[in-house]
Amino acid sequence: MTGSSGAGVRTVRAYLRSRGRTPAGVMDRYVSVFCLAMLIAVTGKPLSDVLAGLAVPGEPARMGAGVALLALGLAGFLAAARNAGPVLLPGADASWLLLSPLNRRHVLGRAARLLLGVAVVAGVVLGVGLLAVLGAPDQLVWRVLGALVVGVAAAVGGMALAVLGQASTSWRLWLTGAVAMLLVLAAVAVTGQLRTVLAIAASAPPPALAAAVSGAAVVSGLLVRQAWVSLERIPTRTLVASSTRAGHVAGAAMSLDPGALTWIAEDNHWRARKLPSRRWPSLPAPFALAWQDWRRLARRRGRLVGVTATAALPAVLAQAGGSPTALGVALLGGALAVASISTSGARRDADNPALARLIGVSRRKALAARAVLPGLLAGAWTALAFTGLAVGGAMAGLADAGGVAGGFGGAWWLFGPLAAPALAAAALRMAGRAPVDHSMPVIDTPGGAIPTGPLFWAATGPDLALLGCLPTAVALVSQPTDLAPFLMAQGVVSVVVLAGFVWRSRSGGKVR
Amino acid sequence: MYDSIISVETLTVELGGNPVLRDLDLTVAPGEIVAVVGSNGSGKSTLLRCLAGLQPVTSGEVRVFGKPPADDAAFWGRVALLGDEPAWYPGLTAREHLELMGAVHAQARMTVDAALELFALQERADAPPLNLSTGQRQRLSLAATLLRPSTLLLLDEPERGLDKDFRADLADLLHEYADEGGTVVMATHDQGLATISRQVAPSGVAA
Repeated sequence: MTGSSGAGVRTVRAYLRSRGRTPAGVMDRYVSVFCLAMLIAVTGKPLSDVLAGLAVPGEPARMGAGVALLALGLAGFLAAARNAGPVLLPGADASWLLLSPLNRRHVLGRAARLLLGVAVVAGVVLGVGLLAVLGAPDQLVWRVLGALVVGVAAAVGGMALAVLGQASTSWRLWLTGAVAMLLVLAAVAVTGQLRTVLAIAASAPPPALAAAVSGAAVVSGLLVRQAWVSLERIPTRTLVASSTRAGHVAGAAMSLDPGALTWIAEDNHWRARKLPSRRWPSLPAPFALAWQDWRRLARRRGRLVGVTATAALPAVLAQAGGSPTALGVALLGGALAVASISTSGARRDADNPALARLIGVSRRKALAARAVLPGLLAGAWTALAFTGLAVGGAMAGLADAGGVAGGFGGAWWLFGPLAAPALAAAALRMAGRAPVDHSMPVIDTPGGAIPTGPLFWAATGPDLALLGCLPTAVALVSQPTDLAPFLMAQGVVSVVVLAGFVWRSRSGGKVR
Repeated sequence: MYDSIISVETLTVELGGNPVLRDLDLTVAPGEIVAVVGSNGSGKSTLLRCLAGLQPVTSGEVRVFGKPPADDAAFWGRVALLGDEPAWYPGLTAREHLELMGAVHAQARMTVDAALELFALQERADAPPLNLSTGQRQRLSLAATLLRPSTLLLLDEPERGLDKDFRADLADLLHEYADEGGTVVMATHDQGLATISRQVAPSGVAA
């Protein structure tokens, strides 16, 4: 077990497997292959239909917004990879294998392959998105292949850059530069400055396409090779620190609780800082408790600026040709996500109520006080997003209609503050949800088994947001001539949802 | 009214079919310091969780302040529990955690500055708790627990991670707490802390 070859790591892993779960038998492998074949059979036709539906020239007016969304998506992917590590080990591996004489690259090989898999999947999504934006006026097969290769090359190359950034500071600067360039690209694209360039790219002849694809693949390949070599140079302290945080990852993986993953980035952020202590304001106890989220948010002004900037995304989506339903999903989803960034205290107490017990504030009062900040954030963000849609011309018809019938022309932004209480309740519900319940039944469908535990977990929170914002959602989809009844209904429903949520909460913490 | 802060009668707790506590009787008077001692797995932490109302009992009765413990704000307003390290709020320093504790309780037992000095944390007051050493985080937990007002203190191995000198200081702090009328029940392996207390050993079979 002291050898430094790959055989050493394999021996250790084989031993661990032998002490763990029962090894997969022939029947297990057969079931896996059968399920995969079924998945391909079920999704193959719809997927090919989707790809065939892309065999049309892209709309030049919408290309800029579409490329902006893709650039933002890739920038977010790279930022998430950088914040998470990206090379992480399970806690046990970090404790036992990392601090051993085993070959470092072989120890990290499994994590690297996992990262490669994640990047390939993200790249395929990026490639399909690219094809949807640029269109395929001719040579469908080659353009599909080209878009997929470019997408995968970008995502894999970006992930390799993130791995390199973990190994050295200079590469980290390159990664930061790449993210900044993507943000600039998104900003330029959304203003329509790239229309000519994108039109040329969309109708590029096959030789030019092949050259671009080859170039992307070569650059990506070089980065991957460099990243593979750099695995040995990632400082142990970096790996141990990120893997300690990955204790959360292990817990999350075991319980399929993706929410726990965000603690990694959160703890990572605060560990690296020395903060100036400030005196706590004199407030009633529940608000003094809730002040923690206000202070945390004030210390992350960059995030606040970023969140404010994302209020423009629904307008970009509308410019890219998004349907009213898609806009509704983006608005409600975005508002819920924005509200959720200020519920860390409630999440911490739900995960581990020890500190909440020491503080001793009634759960109901704490929830009511903690609803203020997410409500303010979600309300302001939604109002900004609606204003952006109106400024971008996406709501022009709706605003005019509202103005004719009820004097509420341009009053769509009012849905923001009116929906805020419901969004705050939904965000707090998300913050307090229990880990995934794997004992819930699994539904067999022709497409495969669907475990209801993760489904219910994912729906906890968004369900209340949808219920509480139903008047807004209906108004967005139905585009009424008079907004007044919807605004009034939204105000009433919102308050009822928040009051009901707070009233229903138990007075004590969780028993753990 | 009640004569004793804690009254436990024929308490039995089984975990996974293993009897961890069996027919345990315990009475704790106001102002008493009680050390629950015994080997690993003898049920010390389980007993504390029962007293805090966090562990369902198999049989018997547990009464705290004359009634069964309830996991609610009124109960936690009088009882301060320190078990495993709490999860710290993100974005706050060590000092701010203590400030928060002082802000939510109307009459804190000491000022934040006094707590930082008493628990030797002044130099690390601006650090996020995650950046503190294990022992310093335990001191911070103890500072938060002793800064807030309470009638009953439940401590599960409070000596964890503390150096020898500070363990002696902790014994003095618990004495002061009891002199003010507070009651302490702690599970401990520390001989010094056990010496200043009435010692009880939970009967039962190691799990």
